[in-house]
Amino acid sequence: MISESISRRAMLTQFSYGVGMLGLAAVLERTTSSAHADSPRPLAARPAHFPAKAKRIIHLWMNGGPSQVDTFDPKPALERYAGQRPESTARLSTERRTTGLMPSPFRFTRHGQSGLELSEIFPHLARHADDLCVIRSMHTNVPVHEASNWMMFTGNVQPIRPSYGSWLLYGLGSENENLPGFVVLGNGQPVNGPSNWSSRFLPGIYQGCQVVLPGAGDYNPRTLIANLHNPDLSPQAQRRQLDFTQQLNNLHQDRQGPEDALNARIESLELAYRMQTTAYDAFDLSREPAAIQAMYGLAGPEGNSTFGGVSRSNYGRNCLLARRLVERGVRVVQIYAGNLQPWDSHSNNSASQRGLATIVDRPTAALLQDLKQRGLLEDTLVVWGGEFGRTPATEGSNGRDHNHWGFSMWMAGGGVKGGMAYGATDEFGFRAVENRVHVHDLHATMLHLMGIDHERLTYRYSGRDHRLTDVEGRLIHGILE
Amino acid sequence: MQLTLPSIRYAGRIMNARLLLLALALGFLSLTNRCLAQDGGAGIELFEKKIRPVLVEHCYQCHSAEADKAKNLKAGLRLDTREGILKGGRSGPALVPGKAKGSLLIAALRHEDLRMPPKGKLPDAVIADFETWVAMGAPDPRDGKAIAHVASIDWDQARKAWAFQRPVIHQAPKVKAGNWPRKEIDSFILAELEKRGLTPVRPATRQEWIRRATFDLIGLPPTPAEVDAFENDTSAGAFAKVVDRLLASPHYGERWGRYWLDLARYTDDLGGTVGPVPAPNAYRYRDWVIQAFNRDMPYDQFIRLQLAGDLISEPATDYVERLAGLGFQGLGQRFSGNAVGMVKKKVADELDDRTDTVTRSLLGLTVACARCHDHKFDPIPTIDYYSLTAAYNGAEWKSERDLASPHQLAAFEQWKKEVADRKGKVDRLLQAEAKRLGKKTSKEAIPLLSEELRKEYDQLQAQLDRVIKAQPPTPMKAPTIIGGGKAMQINVRGNPEILGEVAPPGFLHILRPANEAKTDTFTRLDLANAIAHRDNPLTARVYVNRVWHYHFGRGIVATLGNFGQLGDRPTHPELLDTLAVRFMESGWSTKWLHREIMFSATYRLSSAASPVNAAKDADNHYLWRMSPRRLDFEAWRDAMLAVSGQLDSKLGGSPHFQEGPKQKKELHPEDPANHRRTVYGFISRFKPNTTLTLFDFPEPNVTSDRRNVTTIPQQQLFALNSPFTLAMARAFAARLEKEEKNEEARIRLAWRLAYGRNPSQPELVLGREFLRVPTASGAEKLSPWDQLCHSLLTTNEFAFVN
Repeated sequence: MISESISRRAMLTQFSYGVGMLGLAAVLERTTSSAHADSPRPLAARPAHFPAKAKRIIHLWMNGGPSQVDTFDPKPALERYAGQRPESTARLSTERRTTGLMPSPFRFTRHGQSGLELSEIFPHLARHADDLCVIRSMHTNVPVHEASNWMMFTGNVQPIRPSYGSWLLYGLGSENENLPGFVVLGNGQPVNGPSNWSSRFLPGIYQGCQVVLPGAGDYNPRTLIANLHNPDLSPQAQRRQLDFTQQLNNLHQDRQGPEDALNARIESLELAYRMQTTAYDAFDLSREPAAIQAMYGLAGPEGNSTFGGVSRSNYGRNCLLARRLVERGVRVVQIYAGNLQPWDSHSNNSASQRGLATIVDRPTAALLQDLKQRGLLEDTLVVWGGEFGRTPATEGSNGRDHNHWGFSMWMAGGGVKGGMAYGATDEFGFRAVENRVHVHDLHATMLHLMGIDHERLTYRYSGRDHRLTDVEGRLIHGILE
Repeated sequence: MQLTLPSIRYAGRIMNARLLLLALALGFLSLTNRCLAQDGGAGIELFEKKIRPVLVEHCYQCHSAEADKAKNLKAGLRLDTREGILKGGRSGPALVPGKAKGSLLIAALRHEDLRMPPKGKLPDAVIADFETWVAMGAPDPRDGKAIAHVASIDWDQARKAWAFQRPVIHQAPKVKAGNWPRKEIDSFILAELEKRGLTPVRPATRQEWIRRATFDLIGLPPTPAEVDAFENDTSAGAFAKVVDRLLASPHYGERWGRYWLDLARYTDDLGGTVGPVPAPNAYRYRDWVIQAFNRDMPYDQFIRLQLAGDLISEPATDYVERLAGLGFQGLGQRFSGNAVGMVKKKVADELDDRTDTVTRSLLGLTVACARCHDHKFDPIPTIDYYSLTAAYNGAEWKSERDLASPHQLAAFEQWKKEVADRKGKVDRLLQAEAKRLGKKTSKEAIPLLSEELRKEYDQLQAQLDRVIKAQPPTPMKAPTIIGGGKAMQINVRGNPEILGEVAPPGFLHILRPANEAKTDTFTRLDLANAIAHRDNPLTARVYVNRVWHYHFGRGIVATLGNFGQLGDRPTHPELLDTLAVRFMESGWSTKWLHREIMFSATYRLSSAASPVNAAKDADNHYLWRMSPRRLDFEAWRDAMLAVSGQLDSKLGGSPHFQEGPKQKKELHPEDPANHRRTVYGFISRFKPNTTLTLFDFPEPNVTSDRRNVTTIPQQQLFALNSPFTLAMARAFAARLEKEEKNEEARIRLAWRLAYGRNPSQPELVLGREFLRVPTASGAEKLSPWDQLCHSLLTTNEFAFVN
């Protein structure tokens, strides 16, 4: 007969699958975190699991999927095998039929002290080579936009999980309760629409707040957030009215006795009153000096350029706005390049890649520079990439198909090493082979940089504790500063 | 394609220490059970974690009963039973327990002689696991029968959990303050209070009570006239009269139906990717739910019709009632997944949506946990998930269904055919004539007809007109479900690409009667009957608890959708059981339950504060008072419409401004022109309405049983600045001006409308002072009265109910 104490200890070990006390510690944390939503200040900033390298994220989503071999993953072998289909790539099927390999027409050169190789279509970004951490070994589950969008933003190929932005807001709160903590910017609507930034089973206040900027001529910061402005009362009259309301609330409170919920709403009314000014300021791009506007490529004829439905004016202003928002403590800003999926170059791939790169290159570089000159880059994580990449093989006569086997993304700032390329695809840029990084791993790493252990940020729903990475996710140690 | 293999490690491992000990103490879980015994629990654990999954994934295809059946059994070796593995195949026993070195299985895995699996050597770590396992004596719980792992749950132990025991009526406990209870409920509540040294606070005033009761039952404030009538009613039945009036109101179903729609993840579109997938007749289901509550449809019937209305023959003539409830499943999630590698997961996810929704909403069990692994805390093995899900397997939920009898449908089809026939005759006559005359269209021939033909034409046309006029009613359509009931193979670790043994179709093992006859089929009707059965220990308890939650702000079991080990324990288990049994005895009548609760002294308590009680029970779990509650968004918005006199009390219909073909403009809550109740607004799964989301409306993709109550400034921006609130404020002010002559009377009316009471003296003074706006503010677009009314609509008192 085993003694009781031994068997109990053995059980504990087995029961928690070796997690032991770590699991118990997490229980205590979870108890508090589950209560966030109903607390008087559900958006208030909360401590991370450990000191964070990044306090905020800007995700530049090149929806449609840029081609890695034309941008960040040079593959000279494609020249030698042009038109051929080497055996090793024969069985890599994607959404549509592809034939022989198609070399990139773009020249790759080394940049910065690191000598990171980048395609000629990103001349402005190239100046920041030493800040870029290019992951060349990304891979995801399926070569389908819908599924891959959901995977990139929610960690599942179906719309059944909260977006990572919602997870972060739930876990960390926001550093500015006077602004939405998770903002989604872009023109038109990307494929899947708001389900890409849904909070799903997390409380609704943690979902992304979508702001679609009107044309430059119609820009009015007042109209960007719902009900930010009272059309019928001057600020003075509104203050007088709110004082009256609060007097009634105080009388009510006196009769009711102390109630947290009543206090919370009284405080929240004052926050809302102040938000009318603070949010207006945040969205007021006219306060940016001309030099900054020019840096983002918004000046001159170039400021009105468009390609494939992506306009400089929209993308550039979104980048500038993203900086203004993170500067004020917004936790997560996502920008999608344009309506539906502009980077989806099934035909005329080279022209598309170049044209789109020309639109986004300068504002993207400006964002990095701007963050840097304000000392924000070191604790802001910038993420750039599509939901998947494109095939090195040809679709039709000059297109590239979706490619989930391997693709590139880059990150900058916020605790990642600059001037490096991590992982590798095969000789042809088709399939990730070395230091493979799944989207779950990317998520685990993004959370880590934000001070969160992806295995400990959980939410009890439908009888179990869910997390962003489900049962997956490995930290990409090699890119951490 | 990358195969995502969920590992056994799962997020839910982070468990509460208290529950961990509880589960250990109960000891019915296979794991703990084995641990306590001396039979090498660690070995079984190793087998379940490391060995079985590998066998299933890499070996069963050629070495199992299934393979045998498919005439694919290789070497006469079966690895899917303990017996098979010991007996071995043509090369002899696959292993010698305790001796890894001498075991053929290990040698084959190492590719020493035989090379298994043939597709490629398994990782060294996996082979090492097998060696360890064999060295341990190859502990193997599989006894050769189909349900191998069910055997490791101690069912007798498992049935002892409170929620699996049949509820019985308990004797009301003795209490000291014997004159306090009014209903049976009260003795149970008071006994607990006395036991804990808590004292019930004062009863609510009549004003407080009628405001509470009215919001509770119909989601609207009482009118000043209703408040007056109640205050002046000195008869013994005054309270009953109010409750009866409210229960008879058609607005009752709008309030309580919406609660159900949260559970049913009701939506007016079906999500989508580049645009919404329309569900134009979804509202038929919504209206069916509202009607069911208004008619007090027995809850067991309510369940049967929603799960299997198409499989039963009652009600005999009302096909709308019989079939429109199927939207409960027809409006479940639909995924896109026709692409490479997505199809099986799509089907599996859709099935999971149905199983998860049904089991959590109706049974209070989180059965979906067992999709990937045996439930960690409740006696629900993986096989049970697939046995139950069989009820939906093979079902189709794409089409809509005609809400009509076969006879009505036949009559309608017959009529359509007749119209076509008659029209054909007219057309043929004209076409022939047009051709003869060289005219392009039949129409051109009409004036040129000969007298004879003209007569024939007129006759035929008249017949056609007569037939068209005699059109029988067009059958309504509604979302539905068709079929199901196909046995499923277990998806190994939830992965639909890896199939294990067939799960015999049937209900959850733990809820099956011991003597139940075995059947091979399990239809949705079987599922409905198993849930809506009087002997089911969960169904009535779960429902009664939900109703209780909406009356008191907290359930007797706080975790409304989880009555399992990880759920909270009931604060008043005997009360819950007694209510559940009496509820079933009442004929599963929801309205009976409302009366039972609302006539109690407990429900009549005020929200008065009590520091002494609060020190012992701050969150009021034991109901020493009525907790103040914030109105949900629907009630708050509808109350604005009501007090401003703008409420359009039309019932039901499509979520658009107009019925019929021109119904383009959707009803949204922030639209000042939308005066319908909020429940009738357009609910989108594709693009959730941001106002609803802001105010804690549940995400309509998933079943939701409890609303969050969040407080964030954007909500207050809606109150302060939205065109909707401002329009309501103006209408409210206009109403005051019309209904009362002088300032004081108007202020009094404003308070009575907004709060159901007269203003206090300080409030009167404040109000009058506020109306004397400084002259400089004359330029404002809101008059002083508009502003005062707006203020009232934004106060806490308007948004909370005691």
